[in-house]
Amino acid sequence: VPYHEFDCSTSIPERKKHAVIKGEGEDLTSALPLGYLNTIPGSISERGCAYCGAKHVIGTPMKDVIHLSHGPVGCTYDTWQTKRYISDNDNFQLKYTYATDVKEKHIVFGAEGLLKQNMHEAFDPFPDMKRMTVYQTCATALIGDDINAVAQEVMEERPGVDIFVCNSPGFAGPSQSGGHHKINIAWIDQKVGTVEPKITSDYVINYVGEYNIQGDQEVMVDYFKRMGIQVLSTFTGNGSYDDLRSMHGADLNVLECARSAEYICNELRVRYGIPRLDIDGFGFEALGSSLLKIGRFFGIEDRARAIIEEETARWKPELDWYRERLTGKKVCLWPGGSKLWHWAHAIHAEMGVDVVSVYTKFGHQGDMEKGIARCEQGALAIDDPNELEGLEALEMLKPDVIFTGKRPGEVAKKVRTPYLNAHAYHNGPYKGFEGWVRFARDIYNAIYSPIHQLGGLDISAGPIPESGGFVTRKMMSDINLPEEVRRSTQMREYTGKYDSVSGLRDREYPYLDELKAAS
Amino acid sequence: VSAGTSAGTATAEAVLAERTELLVDFIMKNCLWQFHSRAWDRERQNERILGMTSSLLQGQDVDHSTPEDRCYWVDALYLVESYREQYPWVNDLDVEEIRTLMQSVKDRTDHLTITGSLNAELTDKHY
Repeated sequence: VPYHEFDCSTSIPERKKHAVIKGEGEDLTSALPLGYLNTIPGSISERGCAYCGAKHVIGTPMKDVIHLSHGPVGCTYDTWQTKRYISDNDNFQLKYTYATDVKEKHIVFGAEGLLKQNMHEAFDPFPDMKRMTVYQTCATALIGDDINAVAQEVMEERPGVDIFVCNSPGFAGPSQSGGHHKINIAWIDQKVGTVEPKITSDYVINYVGEYNIQGDQEVMVDYFKRMGIQVLSTFTGNGSYDDLRSMHGADLNVLECARSAEYICNELRVRYGIPRLDIDGFGFEALGSSLLKIGRFFGIEDRARAIIEEETARWKPELDWYRERLTGKKVCLWPGGSKLWHWAHAIHAEMGVDVVSVYTKFGHQGDMEKGIARCEQGALAIDDPNELEGLEALEMLKPDVIFTGKRPGEVAKKVRTPYLNAHAYHNGPYKGFEGWVRFARDIYNAIYSPIHQLGGLDISAGPIPESGGFVTRKMMSDINLPEEVRRSTQMREYTGKYDSVSGLRDREYPYLDELKAAS
Repeated sequence: VSAGTSAGTATAEAVLAERTELLVDFIMKNCLWQFHSRAWDRERQNERILGMTSSLLQGQDVDHSTPEDRCYWVDALYLVESYREQYPWVNDLDVEEIRTLMQSVKDRTDHLTITGSLNAELTDKHY
């Protein structure tokens, strides 16, 4: 295996097997790093914990729910304003964050009473909010608090209330991925099958592994509705608690992020016979073929084709404008889990950028298989990197931009490497045809931002030269472009709105309306 | 004659290997079904989808009457159309050549994703 050992990690020899370079003639049987293992002591990992993976990734995007952490208040850090999984009910799940605020005295004397009091206090001001999820944390797991018993008491005391308990404390896995697994299995065990599905179309799907980052889910659901497809539930972005209890009523599970949600799809297949179709919502080609597959599954291929045609005609000239200016730029694709494979090929094929490195903070070897298979030769693949390795890789590869999370992103800025937020996006949504153009625009703006002209000046070396003038993005990006490209009347910059999502909420869907009228 | 036959066989093998790589690389870059999480999943996925792809390329009908089969069928149909469009030589192959080529694609995909895979989670008994 062509392992790559970082100079900064020679004192942690176990790290060597967590990075490979896909060289000439290498394939998946010879180039695959280790993955989904406990972080090696001494390596300052960028991972989250299993509680975070259960609550902050999968549980909390559910929109009509009080989400309560049972533990110290610090465990709720990644909530208000740090996540961007919006919803169409005024972002209830983002605006209201709950924690039982466990202190040392509760560790000594128990925190079940505190939990019960908090649950009632959370419900009281919101009489219409009848659903709650409660998350175990390390501290309350270690003292043995029985959350299920408390939840049962509260449900008995508050008729009409339903509570989901997620037992995924931070230590329950090597990374947030352990929490994804636990909440998937807990949800299907506890909740699926407990609400009768309300079927309103002949074509019914669950949209799984989609978290509505800056509106991704709403963009995709818009396409499905335009095809006359009922999205019975979304697991879990902008998803409704009770809809997710009726997942067993769908004809097809359409799976987006397999890393976080393949478990529930696999179980739905085994227990209810619902097949699993993996799709890509990113990239014109991948999205188009995904819509076509779903259309074909239901025998409504023509409806998918109509959408692909319309959207491609509207947005392709804008994608091409950016492609001309991004071709050959070097990218480090360093997301958390699934985007290394969702994006690796699509950004190369459709935006012309070269992916020189992929990494995953918490992915499994299966994610690396997909990511390495989809990137070109010479790419450096790293599992669970630490900050020093990231810096060394930036020094070695000298990328034009990196796509990663906000913490390593800020580190990259310090060495003057532009970064885009791969988890929460900069100006998303990035899914859908328009979204893909928004992504290209963000990449363009990151790489060619004029700030780098100032950022590169050493103010300690003497006076800043004032005579050079100011170079705009377009002056930089267009300098080597052929005349016909620069003056093209076919291609154009992004012309969409600042908010490309809210308008979708008022749309009418003739195919679905017909069904409603008929029934 | 013997040397000529041998050279011809070697050429045919080289062509088959080259074509196999192209078709497998397309799967790797554009599909996700071959990377389900467990070995038994991958065996079923590769068998059903590539089997249907082979049949469709040979001009045969495939049974897609159950939801499970329809799911495999839509992935197979995508491959067939993409292959025909991106690799026009596929349209010139006879039935036997398609059968040989697709068996080679299946063997190579199985090798990359199952038998030769370094993924230690493939043999996990649970999802």
